[in-house]
Amino acid sequence: MKGTGERIGVVCALLVLIFTAFAWRLIHLQILKHDYYQEIAAEKHDTRQVIQARRGRILDRNGEELAVNVPVQMVYADGSHIQKPAAVAGVAAPFLEMTPEELTEKLTTKSKYLVIRKGVSEEKAQDMIRALEKANLHGLYLQEGSVRSYPNGEMLCDVLGYVDHTGHGADGIEKTCDDALTGQEGFRWIEHDRKGREIVVYRGQEQLPENGSDIRLSIDMGLQAIAEREVDAAYKTNHPASATAILADPNTGEILAMASRPNYDPNKFNQAKPEEMRNRAISDIYEPGSVFKIVVTSAAYNEGIVNDKTQIFCENGHFSYGGKIIKDHHGSGDLSIPEILMKSSNIGAAKISLRMKDQMFYDYVRKFGFGTRTGIPLPGEIPGQVIPPHRWDMLTKTRVAFGQSISVTPIQMVMAMSAIANGGKLLKPKLVMSKGEGSAELTEAPVAQVVKTESANYIANALEKVVGNQGTAPLARIEGYRVAGKTGTAQKISPHGGYLEGRYIVSFAGFFPVNKPRIMGIVIVDDAKLGETANYGGSVAGPVFAKIGEKAARHLDMDPEPTDSVSKQDSSTAAVSAR
Amino acid sequence: MSVNRRRTTNAIEVNFLARWLVIVFLIGLAGLFFVYLKNQQHAVGNQSRLVEAALREEEGRDEALKAQITSMTSRGALQHRLDDGYITLQAIRDTAIARVTPPASAEVDGVLRTASRDPESRFGPGGPQRAVNR
Repeated sequence: MKGTGERIGVVCALLVLIFTAFAWRLIHLQILKHDYYQEIAAEKHDTRQVIQARRGRILDRNGEELAVNVPVQMVYADGSHIQKPAAVAGVAAPFLEMTPEELTEKLTTKSKYLVIRKGVSEEKAQDMIRALEKANLHGLYLQEGSVRSYPNGEMLCDVLGYVDHTGHGADGIEKTCDDALTGQEGFRWIEHDRKGREIVVYRGQEQLPENGSDIRLSIDMGLQAIAEREVDAAYKTNHPASATAILADPNTGEILAMASRPNYDPNKFNQAKPEEMRNRAISDIYEPGSVFKIVVTSAAYNEGIVNDKTQIFCENGHFSYGGKIIKDHHGSGDLSIPEILMKSSNIGAAKISLRMKDQMFYDYVRKFGFGTRTGIPLPGEIPGQVIPPHRWDMLTKTRVAFGQSISVTPIQMVMAMSAIANGGKLLKPKLVMSKGEGSAELTEAPVAQVVKTESANYIANALEKVVGNQGTAPLARIEGYRVAGKTGTAQKISPHGGYLEGRYIVSFAGFFPVNKPRIMGIVIVDDAKLGETANYGGSVAGPVFAKIGEKAARHLDMDPEPTDSVSKQDSSTAAVSAR
Repeated sequence: MSVNRRRTTNAIEVNFLARWLVIVFLIGLAGLFFVYLKNQQHAVGNQSRLVEAALREEEGRDEALKAQITSMTSRGALQHRLDDGYITLQAIRDTAIARVTPPASAEVDGVLRTASRDPESRFGPGGPQRAVNR
């Protein structure tokens, strides 16, 4: 009996030992190695599912969509779920526009994440998944995404820019407002079963995405379409190297339209040439020519150096100064300030500049915003070039007075002319009205009071004569409205120094109605293929301005001014020219 | 040697047994109920996954259609169709517009609106050549 008891004792002891070992192993696995195994299990089953934030839209001032998102799906394969690659390929290939053989080759993989095709339309992708489910096949999955679409194609391309393959803005507003447009992506921790399906019960931490804000621009697509059409027509007719037009509200600095040629389609940005992708309104510098006479005349008038009784002798068209001859297109004798602007006398402008101190003239040039970036929220803006007085030679001041020896951008010229139109306030160009639905409208304070209101009004009234019968731009006149403006015809600078013979950059900058300006516009045509005798700001850029202005007035429902005030424009011009 | 047999009889304690039976039954029932609930939870979770997927699909389809509509009705697309002659612009005559309130000009309220001042659209063919005498 004793032997039996011992044996039982041994067996029991062995059992105790075995179960103790098991218990220890369990404790080891479940408690001591808990974190380690949990991590391995989590790696296998837990996934951090990214919830993409929707990129904000870009809208015009009236809510018209300029940039939207088109949902697409990315199809990827999980090789560990694919039992029969050929069968899966047979079902899925037609939806992916691939041959079954091609797809089979791709699906014969052990990779858990292999991108098969990007940019598959929502409809096709869902149809493919349904077809696979019907055939009880697994291994192909979808990942949501979207592509940026610009419904208007080439229109406004320079302002909108485009989005690169990473989904971030690469140019234009897409770039400068990228942070606001992108938003914040969300995530969700999920567990999935062997077939890759989410086990919703074990859904973990979740953070919803913050969609990007919609950006509302100051652009009016009605006006943009008008500007695009007329710039396009000028580009096709005159075959210039480039053509640019900007429309703005001179009272607020809001940019209403911005068009240039050549341009590109942001939907196919990878096919565009570099010269097509440049926003010429902010990144091209040019010598403004006679348009710049508004600076010297308004500055001199503002300082009391000239007044409405001043007469400047214009040397009958030939003025020898500093060893060089300054010429006028038409020789004149004594001219008043309005006449100097109307006849676009280089000699008159040069002589006014000589009455001013160098530093004073330079300060006015800078106060009008030249040599400084305007701060328009677009990438690639350049400040232009203004030579400081200590580097001037004897001729520089006289040249700057009529727009040579200085380089400006079209947007700078628009803002400078706006200062004349709005009573002397230099404004910062405003392109973004608001960011996000219901957000407050962004406001910009004037940068500076450049000249007194009285001086600005005097020059504005003088500029009205430019579009009169005796002025340089009668073709820029808009029927029914009093227009003020200035032409510019500047020889192109040669990259090898000096000027290019017979090649010009012509422009017209103007605003209307004169008494209460609502539209400020500039048209610049670079190197139109016209004869030297036909290539002038008044004959090339002026008519484009008039066509844009006429249609813009109709679009904005602007009431025509009383007939007598409009006809006064011509009679006053006649009176001036008779003097 | 008389033995009181009744004393050695093991009495079945029905109350005790019944209590435990009820407890075991209830625990079993609770276990089954737990399993049932867990299954239900999974089934409902699966359903909600499918509903979410369907919702996402519909949202995606809706967005795709919206984008398609936007691109087909965009200014650029309409201009192309207009140029190709697929559509024409038909001016609305003033006489065909019933105004509930007097027309407000942008000068007054600052609201930008599209309006046609073409002589033909205001007065019809053969009407005055200009809307305003100059």
